Parts: sequence; C-alpha cells; structure tokens
Amino acid sequence: MDTASPRLRMSVIGVVVIGCFAALFARLWYLQVMEAPSLEVQATANRTRTVAVEAPRGRILDRNGKVIVDNRTSLVVTVDRTALRKLPKDQQAALVSKLAATFTDFGTLTKTEALDARLADKQYDDLQPVPVASDVTEELMVYLSERAAEYPSVGVERESVRQYNYPSVAGNILGYVGRINAETLAKVKNDPGVDPDGVKKEYQPDSTIGLAGVEAAYEKDLRGTPGTEEIEIDANNRPVRKVSYQAPRPGSDIQLNIDIDVQMKAEEALREQLRVVRGGQQRDNFGVYRKNAPAGSVVVQDPNNGGVVAMATYPSYDPAEFVNGISQARYAELSDTDGVSALIDRSITGQYAPGSTFKLVTATAALDNGIITARDTVNDKGYYEVGDPPTRFNSTGANGYIALPRALTVSSDVFFYYLGDRMDGTTDIQKTATSFGFDASTGIDLPNESSGFVFTPDEKKALHQKYPQAYPNDTSWYTGDSIQLAIGQNVVAVTPMQLAGAYSALANGGTVYQPHVVNRVLRPSSQIGIPVDDPDTADVLRVIDPVVRSTVELPPGTRDPIVEGLSGVTRSGTAASAFSSFNQSTFKIVGKTGTAQVQGKADTSVFASYAPADDPRWTVAAVLEEAGFGSEAAAPVTRHIYEFLSGQPATPYTFVPPAKVD
Amino acid sequence: MLPRSISRHDSNRSRRDPTAPLRHLDPVLLFCSLALAVIGIVAVYAATKSRFGDAYLVRQTAFVLIGVGVMGVIAFVDYHKLHDWAWLFYAATTGLLVLVISPLGSQSKGAQAWFALGPFQLQPAEFSKLSLIGALAFLLSEWKGDIDLRRLVALLAVAGFPMALIMLQPDLGLVLILSIITIALLVVGGVPTKYLAILAVLGVVGVVGVLNSPILKEYQVNRLTAFANPDDKSNPAVYNIDQSKTAIASGGVSGQGLFQGPQTRLGFVPEQETDFIFTSVAEQFGFIGSAVVLGLYGVLCYRTWRIAQIARDPFGTYVCIGVLAMFAFSVFENVGMAMGIMPVTGIPLLLLSSGGSSTITAFAAIGLVLNVHMRRFR
Repeated sequence: MDTASPRLRMSVIGVVVIGCFAALFARLWYLQVMEAPSLEVQATANRTRTVAVEAPRGRILDRNGKVIVDNRTSLVVTVDRTALRKLPKDQQAALVSKLAATFTDFGTLTKTEALDARLADKQYDDLQPVPVASDVTEELMVYLSERAAEYPSVGVERESVRQYNYPSVAGNILGYVGRINAETLAKVKNDPGVDPDGVKKEYQPDSTIGLAGVEAAYEKDLRGTPGTEEIEIDANNRPVRKVSYQAPRPGSDIQLNIDIDVQMKAEEALREQLRVVRGGQQRDNFGVYRKNAPAGSVVVQDPNNGGVVAMATYPSYDPAEFVNGISQARYAELSDTDGVSALIDRSITGQYAPGSTFKLVTATAALDNGIITARDTVNDKGYYEVGDPPTRFNSTGANGYIALPRALTVSSDVFFYYLGDRMDGTTDIQKTATSFGFDASTGIDLPNESSGFVFTPDEKKALHQKYPQAYPNDTSWYTGDSIQLAIGQNVVAVTPMQLAGAYSALANGGTVYQPHVVNRVLRPSSQIGIPVDDPDTADVLRVIDPVVRSTVELPPGTRDPIVEGLSGVTRSGTAASAFSSFNQSTFKIVGKTGTAQVQGKADTSVFASYAPADDPRWTVAAVLEEAGFGSEAAAPVTRHIYEFLSGQPATPYTFVPPAKVD
Repeated sequence: MLPRSISRHDSNRSRRDPTAPLRHLDPVLLFCSLALAVIGIVAVYAATKSRFGDAYLVRQTAFVLIGVGVMGVIAFVDYHKLHDWAWLFYAATTGLLVLVISPLGSQSKGAQAWFALGPFQLQPAEFSKLSLIGALAFLLSEWKGDIDLRRLVALLAVAGFPMALIMLQPDLGLVLILSIITIALLVVGGVPTKYLAILAVLGVVGVVGVLNSPILKEYQVNRLTAFANPDDKSNPAVYNIDQSKTAIASGGVSGQGLFQGPQTRLGFVPEQETDFIFTSVAEQFGFIGSAVVLGLYGVLCYRTWRIAQIARDPFGTYVCIGVLAMFAFSVFENVGMAMGIMPVTGIPLLLLSSGGSSTITAFAAIGLVLNVHMRRFR
C-alpha cells in the first residue's frame, strides 16, 4: 500500500475528524442523558443557599402573669457588603461617610471609622446584610427608602429584639441576650433545644443566645424555632431571588415565681437603705470605719416550696443596655466601678459571714444534740474565757443569767461562745449547717452560683495544705475556731440565698427546698395574665416542681424555743427599734440580726426572717456590705419589704440607730 | 432594439453556463455556517444579557455581518489570485504579530495579543491561521508532493515563525491550532511517511518536554493537565471544568430553555460568551440542541472535506484541508474542554463564540472553501 497516496491520506484525515466528532457525541450523551440526574443535584446545591431566620424569643412573665420581658421590632439599617464592594472604591468611601453623616443628622452621632470597622467585621455572614445602626427612627427609614438610589447597598430591616416593660428592674434575674460566640456555638451545635413540636432550634454564627440569668438558664425553652429562607445565589454569592420561605416561630414563654411588684419594692428598699447609711461611721470592737455601703442583696422566698419571689442585688444593670450590643467601655464600667461589679448577682454569688444569723444553726445543733435544754441558763458577764492561761472572748455588754430564747432575742455572744466551746471537738455545728443547706450550692436555676463554706477541722487543714499562702501556719483547729463558728464568723460564709433557705426551713418545720426563680414553662404565645396559682391553664408545658435538698431535725423541743427567741428580736430584741413602726398584731415577724466583722472595713449588716409567724408565707434575707450593724441597715430594708407584703403603709427611708448588741 | 436583444441573449447564455461560479455555490456549507452564526448570536446574548444587557448582542451581530461581507468578497475573487497573494498575506500577518508584541499592542487577560482600535480589539493571531494555510498550501502545491528534508525544514520554518511569535504573547491555544493545521497539511501535502513518523516522535517528546520545563507558566500547565486529573481539587482549572460539566448536565435532554440556564445565568461558568459558549448552549438547549450544533459542525466539516476532494487543483485541496483542520480542531478542543475530555486552552468555538477577529476569520475561511467549490470546473 502506498502510504503517500493523497487519497489515502485524505481518508486518514477524514477518519480522524469522524473519530473526534464521535468522541464529542459520546461524551455529550454521557453527560446530558446518563449522568444528568446525579449532577443536577449538585447543580441545585451549587446555586441555592439556605439562610436561617431568627425567631422571636419566648416572653418572661411574673407570677401574676404580668409580662416582664416582651419583644418589639427594631428598625435596623443594614449594608449589603457584596453589593457595596461592587461599587468603585471612591464611591464606597463616599457612601460610608454619607451614611455616617445621615445617622448623625437623624440624631445618632456616628463616626465613619465606626461604620468601616463594622463593615470589616468578620463575624457577619457575607450572604446577609450587616447591621450598621439599630433602633433607628421611622423617619430615617422613610428617608433612606425614598432615596434608595443615593444609598446603594443600604437597606432597612425589621428585627425582633427584647423589650423590657419594667426598665432597670430584675436585670440579675432576667439576664440578657447577645450574639453567640464561636466557642459557645461549637458547644450548643450538637445539643440545640427542641420546640414543642420536636423541631430542633439550630444555631447559626449570627444567632442570639441567652448570656445571663433566666435568658441563659432557660435558653432551650426561650429560643424560638428559626425559619428558613432558601435563596438562589450567583457565582459571586450574591442573592438573586427567594426560592422558599418558612416563617420562624417564637419560643416558649417562661413564668417566674418572681412577683415583679415585690421585686421592685425589694430593689427600692435595698437601694434606698444603702443610700441612707452610706457615709456614716461605725464603731465596733476593732475601731471606727466609714460605712461605704457599696453593695447588697435581698432575697424574698416562699418558705413552702422554695420559689423565689424576689431577689434584689445592688448595684445592678439595665438589660435594655444589651439589646443592640453593649460597648466595650460600658461593659467594663458595669463589671468594675471602684471594684464593684454590677453584673454579678450577690444573692447567689456573694459569700458573706452570716454573723449572728448563724446562731439559728448553733442553737439547733445544741438542742438536737442535747448539749443544753431550752431552760438551761448561762451567766453572760460580757466576756468568755477558755484555756489556761485563759484566752478572753469579749462581747458588747453583759446580760446576766439567760436561757436560749432570750439569748437569741438579745443576741448574746457569750451564750453562744459557751455552746461553741461545748461542741468543740465535734462537727455537730457543721453537720447541722449542712442540713440547713449551707456549705453547698443551692441548685438554683440560675448560672454562676457560689457554694459558701462551713469549715471542719479537716477542711481547715486541707485548705492550709492547698493554699499555704492564704492560710499561713493555721493547720490546727483551735477552740477559738469553734467559738467563732458558733456566732457565724471566720470559718463560715454563706450566700443570701442559702440564708433565706435556712430560715425557710425553720419556717416550714425543717424542709430545705432548692430555690427556683422559674415556676413553669408555657406554650409559645401563651395567654398572659394567669397567675401561677392557677395550675390548670392549657398553656402549661412544664412545671418546675419543688425539690427538697435536705431536712433539718426540728422537733418542737428544738423549734419552739428558737422561734420564741427569734419572735422577740423585732419586739424587744436587737431589731426592736428597726421594727418599732411596724404593726405586728396580725403579721408577726420571726427574725435575727447579724453583724459580720470584715477586716479593715465597716461590718456587713445582715437580717434573716420569715413572716407571718403563724402561717409563714415569706422568708426575707438581707445582706448589706459595709453598712454597719444588722439592726441599722438590713433590718430596716426587711421592714420596708414586709410593709409592702403585709399591705401596711410605706414608711420613709430614715436612719435607724443601731441596737447596742447585735 | 438590436443591442438590447443581444444583451438579453448574452445574459441568458451566462445564466445557463454550467461552469459559472455562482451556479456552484455550496448551499449546504453556506447554510451550516450561517445557522451556526445565528445560534452564536443568540448564545452570546444569553450569556451576557444579565451582565451587559444587549451590548454583546449588537457587537456580535455586527461581527457576523462584517464576516458575511468578508466571506462574500473572498468567495467571489478567484482563489488563484489569492494563490498569488498568499505570501503577501503571510508577510502582513507576520508583521502584525511582531508589532503586537511591541509597545503598539495592548495587553488583556495576561496576553499581549491585541491592537486596540477604538471600541474594538484586533487579534492578528486569528488571521495568521488563514495566512499560514495560504503560505503552506502555496509551497506544497508548488512542490507537487516532492518533499525532501530541505523542503520539509523550509515548511516547518514557515509554520514555526508565526507560532514562535504567538508563543511570546503567549496564546497557547492558537499555537496548538497552527500546529494542527501544519500537521494536516504536511500529511495531505505528500510529506514522506518516514518524516511524518519522525515528526510524530519529536512532537510527543516535545510536548512532554515542554510540560516539564519552565517554558510554560504554572497556570498553563494546570489547565493543560486538569482534564487528566479531574479529582485534583487543588487545581484551579478543575473548578471551571466541574462547573462547566455540571452546567452541561443540568441541561439534560431537552435543556432548561432559552435564558433559563441557572448555572450559566448565575455566572458559575466562566468565560461563557467565549471559551465556554458551548456550555451555555448545552445548558439551555440540552442534548437535542447541542447535538444539532455539533451536527451542523459535522456537516460543515464533511462539506469542507468533500470540497477538498473534488477541488480542481492541489492548492484548492490544501486550502480546504487547512480550513477543515482549523474547524475540526477548534470544535473538538473547545467542546471537549467544556465537557472535560480535553485540556483547558483558550480556543474560541468558531462562529459561535463572541469575538470579532475569530468570527471574521471563520467566515473568511468558509469563503475560501466556497470559492474552491465554485471554481472547481475552471
């Protein structure tokens, strides 16, 4: 065969070309007919994105069904960054500064740099417009939408944000919400809450989440079910059109045990009484100190089930400040102003020496263990001596021969020094303290709780070994430690919530309940105005039942003399002057003052009580830092709250001179 | 009256002249090229509508009209005259290729390949396809199949010079087309088989050598090897191929409909009015539409091949084979690239892709083939 034949070579060319076309047809058939179904799925995923739409959170109601926290619509100005970046560089800069000027004209002073920083913020998804101004006025919205051409890439959206119907009230209980951070997102990603229909409430990088208080503790209930919006996007990730939309659904409502009116009264009484005592001088066994009265806490509890009716802490914060994001500077100011934080809730995180309010525990231990009877008397000479050579423990004033009830009423330290001495070498007081709920977290349904402490000899030793610098050379337990423990000093610290729990146990006959601020979870968009006393409302999803933490042995032989002694406190005892204006004929108060010494500062003023004595409905525990004797600060705060609870006319906030002995 | 009757007689005679060029216009070839050009205008419009409105529609329509005019002119000037002018064309385009890499030329997309002429850009390398066909056809027809080593070297030099200039721009795709045209003409032009075998070996060694040498930039190597390793997601060219394949597949049998291809409309497929125009057509018109387009190209190639066979002289044959090589390789490479069976190189799909120089060149080439066909009897 002649391989040089032109005809043959033409045919070769022809065959090659036919081969090429055959290959193309085969490939085309393969892609468009055989592979098409599987590649089509990929194509759909390629060009649509599903964007989550945040749902409104559930509301927070008080025990009477009053709405404390609601939602409102906030007008948010947004900038579509992808659209913005398509503009020429100089136009981008011009638009941003024009926007800042517009905001300023409409009353919100805005710097161009702040907008630039926001637009560069990587926490926002590129697919969604970045919020640059929140809570803008309707006028600004109208202004911007009428001039859409002058403000390309700028939009105004409606967003659901928290609305606080009682401004500045109960921030410590309610908490606040904020944008989720990456760490938290990773944590909650695998365990989101589930709505009543069983739909998972997934989080996105720009989701909001409860960061404190009930908002954090009941996040899984309060968070709404996000909606989904499927949008078609182009190769540059720009949204082109909406494909589908599923509306978000609000979260479950939460009904608290808190009575918002009692809460407001408690906050007012705490704030005002601190103001009244602030700046005065206190003289005690160690010296003279200025009463700075920087902080304090009051807890009002239902002794019959542990429900928290009010818990005030001072200073506190307004959760509304967090609604559109709080500035770093303001947050720093809230967390530390002259060493005092407004963000911690002293009711559950503050740990204070209980002072003489702890005599409830010492008395119970002594009676339960048969150390003394209610009739046994001790000669209170104004001091108590132990050891040889004797170490002397002083008290203010002498009471002569007294038995337990009177010793409680007048708060005889010498009587309880004697009991501490008698129980030295045992852990009777510590055991009784534990049964009253001290030395352990109460398990309240709020985050960040402290456990307090009641040291035993072994614990003291262990502490020294663990922290040799904080507890130097203090390995052994002295009789003096038992004596100090007996009057609630040095080796014991409690939270106001624990103190309330212990006096609730005295009130109800010995049951220590786990305190809880939430009463029940209600269906989303529940009917409001129904009090917690109505258990049959159809909207109830879940009831937070009372949980018994422990029980205290309070047989009549123990309880009666203690109640007898504490009933005298507000009438003839240490708090008599604080309660002189209060009518106790139908509303008898059982309470105890406490004055906890703090090295180098004015004393912590403490008062723990319950009322009415015959049918206890409320326990009130108040702790005021650097405020002086229990009778001059904490007792008056408590009286103001009982005035409100018993329906007596409110008295003005005035200085109450302290009783001689606390 | 008399002159009039004579004139009528003359015209009658002329109309019946069986060798008159116009009587031998190939309607099939003409129809295929015009049909493809019209489909091209629609496809270019669909691919650019969302971004540029009707700007590309107007431009491409203008290019097609100019191309049809050029085709007419080339078809009606006897190609034997063109035979005599072949070197003039070669010299002119080679000169332009030198000028375009001088500061007179302008740069775009990383290649120094254009002359900016007001709103338009002239790409002289496109015209060098035709001038190379002319020059090689001239030499081969002069030497009448008697090719020794000296003449082969001369042929290779004629082909290699413009290719070297284009490599400096650089435009790898055009160098490939010129290589294919040269090979096809050497095969048909009677180069002895042993030389062809040696050239084939040298070619393979050369391609492997070039791929492994620093002559090509990394992105060029990536593009050339992407089709062979479609799962290498680190290769940026693989992304483009994947998007293109996905778009073609989403066309299915009957297509998404005109202006409806989501992949192309949303911009997932790059360069869809030029290099990936077939992807846009395939997504919108599906297997049926793509097969029609490929069929039109097939018929166009078949007619060109057939005309090469029935041409009156070797020069005509060679010209047609050169044009056949140009069209067949453009289609195979461009469509093959879009479907992931050929390397990624920037070769336009002649008649379909947007672009003035390539469209006018394509019509000029069709004009040459029509010319050969019309004058096969004299």
